[in-house]
Amino acid sequence: MEAYQIRALSFAYPLREKLALKNINLIVKQGEFVTICGKSGSGKSTLLRHLKTVLTPHGTKEGEIYFYGRPLAESGRRAQAARIGFVLQSPDNQIVTDKVWHELAFGLESLGFDNKTIRLRVAEMASFFGIQTWFGKDVAELSGGQKQLLNLASIMAMQASILVLDEPTSQLDPIAAEDFLGTVKKINRELGTTIIMTEHRLEGVLPMSDRVVVMDEGEIIVHDTPRRAGEQLKEMNHDIFLAMPSPMQIYAGVDSTLPCPVTVQEGRQWLDDLPIDNKALREAPGAQCRREPALRTEAGVPPVIQLQEVWFKYARDLPDAVKDLSLEVERGQLYCIVGGNGTGKTTALSIVGGILKPYRGRVRISGRDLRKMSGQERAANQPALLPQNPQLLFVKKTVELDLYEMLAGKQLSKEEKEQKVGDVCALAELEGLLQMHPYDLSGGEQQRAALAKVLLLEPQILLLDEPTKGLDGHFKSKLAGLLKKLAALDVTVLMVSHDIEFCARYADVCALFFDGGIITQNTPRAFFSGNSFYTTAANRMARHIFPAAVTIEDVIEACRNNL
Amino acid sequence: MKDVFSTLHPVVTFTYFTAVLLFSMCFMHPVCLTVSLLCSFLYSVLLRGKKAIRFNLLYLLPLLLFMAVINPAFNHAGVTILFYLKNGNPVTLESILYGIAAAGMFGAVVLWFSCYNAVMTSDKFIYLFGRLIPALSLILSMALRFVPRYKAQIQVISIAQQGIGRDVSNGNILERARNGLQILSMMTTWALENAIETADSMKSRGYGLPGRTSFSIFRFDRRDKAVFGAMLLLMAAILTGAAAGFNTMRFFPSLKLLPPNAFSLGVYCAYLALGSLPVIIDTAEELKWKRIKSEL
Repeated sequence: MEAYQIRALSFAYPLREKLALKNINLIVKQGEFVTICGKSGSGKSTLLRHLKTVLTPHGTKEGEIYFYGRPLAESGRRAQAARIGFVLQSPDNQIVTDKVWHELAFGLESLGFDNKTIRLRVAEMASFFGIQTWFGKDVAELSGGQKQLLNLASIMAMQASILVLDEPTSQLDPIAAEDFLGTVKKINRELGTTIIMTEHRLEGVLPMSDRVVVMDEGEIIVHDTPRRAGEQLKEMNHDIFLAMPSPMQIYAGVDSTLPCPVTVQEGRQWLDDLPIDNKALREAPGAQCRREPALRTEAGVPPVIQLQEVWFKYARDLPDAVKDLSLEVERGQLYCIVGGNGTGKTTALSIVGGILKPYRGRVRISGRDLRKMSGQERAANQPALLPQNPQLLFVKKTVELDLYEMLAGKQLSKEEKEQKVGDVCALAELEGLLQMHPYDLSGGEQQRAALAKVLLLEPQILLLDEPTKGLDGHFKSKLAGLLKKLAALDVTVLMVSHDIEFCARYADVCALFFDGGIITQNTPRAFFSGNSFYTTAANRMARHIFPAAVTIEDVIEACRNNL
Repeated sequence: MKDVFSTLHPVVTFTYFTAVLLFSMCFMHPVCLTVSLLCSFLYSVLLRGKKAIRFNLLYLLPLLLFMAVINPAFNHAGVTILFYLKNGNPVTLESILYGIAAAGMFGAVVLWFSCYNAVMTSDKFIYLFGRLIPALSLILSMALRFVPRYKAQIQVISIAQQGIGRDVSNGNILERARNGLQILSMMTTWALENAIETADSMKSRGYGLPGRTSFSIFRFDRRDKAVFGAMLLLMAAILTGAAAGFNTMRFFPSLKLLPPNAFSLGVYCAYLALGSLPVIIDTAEELKWKRIKSEL
């Protein structure tokens, strides 16, 4: 049975020449798990929104969408509300009411069920999702991951037969994301619900998908099983590969006739099957880096950021958020702190930024104690902090006004200001976006605009909190390029991140944060090849053959050298 | 100890608090005031433990004493003159007693309200008024979600602004005011922007379809009926007493109390029973629990 049948669908937003969707033909069968991927702006969300009439954007549309054999528009609002469930990106914005039980009942109230039926449905769903323990809670008490699960549960309570998810995990940390995707898979497997989702974190999703749809510029370029999609993309040599799981990227970089691996496990098998002569194994690139000498670059110069045995807690009765933290960052370094959720990484960053004051220990910026600086000195030396959500920094109607706002209090001539804004725009590649409203930019563009804003302060130290959150592969590599440019300008960057792949590739130093302090730090290669679990997918896949290969490029190069 | 009275149906608890609050405000008879003050004090301690004792003794008691003292200094009505103040105004027995009674009444109302706040949580309130106006219950529920959310967001924004050296705590007054205003304007943009997704989520879940119902997790069970019935009986008794004039007294120009009789004693007992109803229910439950446990 075909749940959806899309025939020659084209769509353009009002006042735009360019088509957002071009001649889309797609059939989704009942019970299938379909993942749609593509760069941001490739039309994924637009396509998803066409699957439910109330969410369809305004514009000129051609083509037909059939829902169980009948035109979608013919099935009424009530039927669509119940049968097509839609989960959006932000866990917070989708929640309407203040109590978990009320939220679970919200959709059923709209459909006009009586108290008894709602009670049963809500109870069923709460038990299925294992959320009965927070049934009576306020939604404000829930974590981001729990909120997104609640959104899913409240839609499933309406007994949806189709679940459409628009990047549901982009705001979640990796563990919560995995949890969420696990639940989605459970719904697909145990209830037979059809799943159509877009996602940029493909490592977890692709192995569970039946089919992958790859979109580019509003068109479907590949539509097949994950394995075959990988093979087709390899032939096309498309840059969408940046978003694919590591085993597929490695597969694409190495000549072989073997089938495309999707998971790390398959990747290991694939590597074993490659004709690599284990005895004659030449040293993989970077193997010597294990013996890389000290991290210090210049002797005698004090580190730019120095924390000595710093302790911090939010209130007297609360446990310590940061415990005995010592840290040194040299000028011009890109220093990455990785680690799980709630270990105190963000707190540590706020301490360095001077927003939180430790109750024990010292924080030195360029060799000077932060506490002993005068107000002016502090303002001059203060590290600039880019928050997790770049939107928090935007205050004006356009990006340009926002950038000039940063210079408002300064004694500069008009030309100087223009010069500075121009420089920073060139650095952050904001040309063409200056007249837009900051909220209308995509995630990656917002990130760059916020970064540009922060850079106008001309900070010597830049603190970044999860800068890659919600960015696709394309924007990540742009961000990395920007960070490299800053390093060349001698700006020191300290960032905290969940994104192991990104840190392994671009950091100068990586440190593992756990239980309020730094457990170990080293150059990325030595750091990740020394870990067994907490390491990149590429390393997990290849460590039995190339223990020192950490990034995808490392593994590809090692394979090529040894084939 | 866990309060059992607050697990009753919202209609019961709400009626109860409305009644005791109104009675405490209207009935100025010394017995009624003492009963109300005592019961509210006991229940507030039962609900909030040590914290309530500290608040009551440290803040409420001095306030009441102050009120009692200040009344005769400004109120000079009454016929029984005790002595004259330096400025020539008389201090009367009636005004002293009225001051004490008013302070007692005020104290009882404050204490009952503190109990009300602990028992009538937002969801119960929404449930009650959602019954009257269904659309209102959703609006209230959404408002209750947004207020803490906005507060948290203001916090997050001001920390983020602090991270780039812009905050209400930086700079001179003018700069601080400007930064504060800016945060407010950001909040507005943020709220409007995010409301779009909330609206999508509501539409997607069928909001706006005709025939919307209102779900609640409360059920009016047999226990609720029993308590509600008892409460109504007690209230009826008290109101009859009020109609007969037993529940109040005259302060000005001279003190006047109706002489007590068997009927009025009955009314006062009913008032005591009503006031201590939560405490009685809690204690009974506790005893029952102990008995069941000992039988195991």
